[in-house]
Amino acid sequence: MSGDGKGGNRPSGPAEKSSPPIHLRPARDDDLSALIPLLLRLKRLNEEFDPLLKVRDDAEQQARQILKADLTNPKAIVLAAEGVGADRDKVVGFVRAHIRERAFYAPEHEGVILDIYLLPLYRRRGVGEHVLGEITNALKAKGAGIVTAEFPAQNEIAGRFYTKRGFRPITAVQARSL
Amino acid sequence: MARSASSPVEPDPPDRKKARRRSTAAKRSEDQTDLLGERSVELSRFYGGKIETVPKVPVRSLEDFALWYTPGVAAVSRAIQADPDRAFELTGRWNTIAIVTDGSRVLGLGEIGPEAALPVMEGKALLFKVLGGVDAIPIPIRVKSPEEFIATVEAMAPAFGGINLEDIASPKCFGILEKLSKRLPIPVWHDDQLGTAAATVAGLLNALELTHRSVHHVRTVLLGAGAANLVTARLLLALGHPAHQLTLVDQKGVLHADREDLDELELHNPWKYRIALATNGGGRTGDLKAALEGADVLVAASTPNPDTVRREHVRAMAKDPIVFALANPVPEIWPEVAHEAGAAIVATGRSDFPNQVNNSLIFPAVFRGVLDARARSIPDEVVLAAAKELARGAALKGLSSHHLLPTMEELEVFPQIAAAVGDTTVRLGIARRKLSHDEFLERARTLMGRPAQLVRALARARLTPPMPRAGPRRRRST
Repeated sequence: MSGDGKGGNRPSGPAEKSSPPIHLRPARDDDLSALIPLLLRLKRLNEEFDPLLKVRDDAEQQARQILKADLTNPKAIVLAAEGVGADRDKVVGFVRAHIRERAFYAPEHEGVILDIYLLPLYRRRGVGEHVLGEITNALKAKGAGIVTAEFPAQNEIAGRFYTKRGFRPITAVQARSL
Repeated sequence: MARSASSPVEPDPPDRKKARRRSTAAKRSEDQTDLLGERSVELSRFYGGKIETVPKVPVRSLEDFALWYTPGVAAVSRAIQADPDRAFELTGRWNTIAIVTDGSRVLGLGEIGPEAALPVMEGKALLFKVLGGVDAIPIPIRVKSPEEFIATVEAMAPAFGGINLEDIASPKCFGILEKLSKRLPIPVWHDDQLGTAAATVAGLLNALELTHRSVHHVRTVLLGAGAANLVTARLLLALGHPAHQLTLVDQKGVLHADREDLDELELHNPWKYRIALATNGGGRTGDLKAALEGADVLVAASTPNPDTVRREHVRAMAKDPIVFALANPVPEIWPEVAHEAGAAIVATGRSDFPNQVNNSLIFPAVFRGVLDARARSIPDEVVLAAAKELARGAALKGLSSHHLLPTMEELEVFPQIAAAVGDTTVRLGIARRKLSHDEFLERARTLMGRPAQLVRALARARLTPPMPRAGPRRRRST
């Protein structure tokens, strides 16, 4: 997660005042070329946290396939974040989530936030909060009774972001190389 | 001076005349450096280092030790126990600072370790004493992480009135300075950030004045995004330089908010990340040439290579551009070449060209000022006050394109800067001792003048042996 909640790194220059907030809408086919590099930026950021998240050489192709499939999958949601004002038609971020079925637990439908990415100039000022609110509503509308978020375990900033908003760890995934 | 980053530009195509000039100047500079190096080793061996402690109280007989040491000293300790701030009055703490390094980026030598950093720190201590009247203790430390560095300095802080951080690699130097400044009740300074940036800003203010420009309207390019230039950017913004007219360029080109490496920077160099967001490339992308189109000012603090900035770069700038090429020992462009390409004013980090941007003009006076005020910290307002006073010092003697900054011979400027620093700490409410301007000035003059008398007296009494002639090696006879 690269949105809000990163204490201490707030830019102090005029960029903060002049940067516009964002507007979210469902992503379309013609957003693909803008979304792919953003998804790749997020995965490369994840790689910074953990070498076990090393980005594959064919990641770009993967990104295209996955996003394309999500756009027609009724159990997937991709929202594109657009700038406002002069940046109105520019895709500056996105959020991607899936509805998963839980075989043993209730509630049955789980909304999983898989990726959130915003370009640096469009972070803070409550933008992350706004994105989380919108995606949560969209997942609810698709029947989710619980919302979860996946991110690298080493990304403490994302951890703090969600914890502050009422999330807590429920499943742990540990890994070792083979 | 500037010791950071590399540049995105390729070397010039061959140009015989220029190559010849470069090789002569570079050769001369190298020969000179070799010669000085040999001599420095010889003299370091002869004198066994550069500094020693000397008592400042009379010791008439052994009985006086009962005053200076036990049992008399116990009462002094109790007084300080009751009020720790009295340490500034009853011990040498008021005038003593630590020069702390981990040896991770020493001069242009890189990570040479704490032992090898010691001669440099001793040299700095000598400058502190002779120029600022400050007792500075060199303390190179062996630590593995910034956290360990911070904890070590925190642990030694009770002995000192201030901390001078020295020769720490970027970007860890930023976090160390930031955290120590927050945690310690005494001023903390990192010369590679603050000293260099303050001297640069002082030179820029006068260069702008000379070319009838205002910091509020100028367009500036900073080449190199290391310790010095990131702080120069911060100080310029604080002075009212428009953020959208400030462009930083590093080895990857213009630093702007959409650059691919921004997420990585946010994690590993949030200081650079913040400047990237604040300036957003000054509305530019691309390479140095693209950044310099129409720019008024270039401050290069990057690679010691005279082809880093080329004629065509300077030609692309606005009319009468200002060029600061601060890499040492070799500037990013030779002053002569910059002038030929149209530069109105050129400054370097070297004393053998006009307009030396030299942090030795800043740090002794800043410490004199904060120590005399017993200040709790050194915020940017204090750094800017020092820069402005240094600029004023040059202006008083008459500004010209060859006299942008005072030289080390213009000694009067030091106490003036110290007093301006003292005044600012009082105004900001961070001074433990609120003296008047005249009191700060008088005190600085006295304390800064004393070491020269001391050095002369020691030499006259032959307590400091005269410098042996260069040549056959001799040993000190003690």
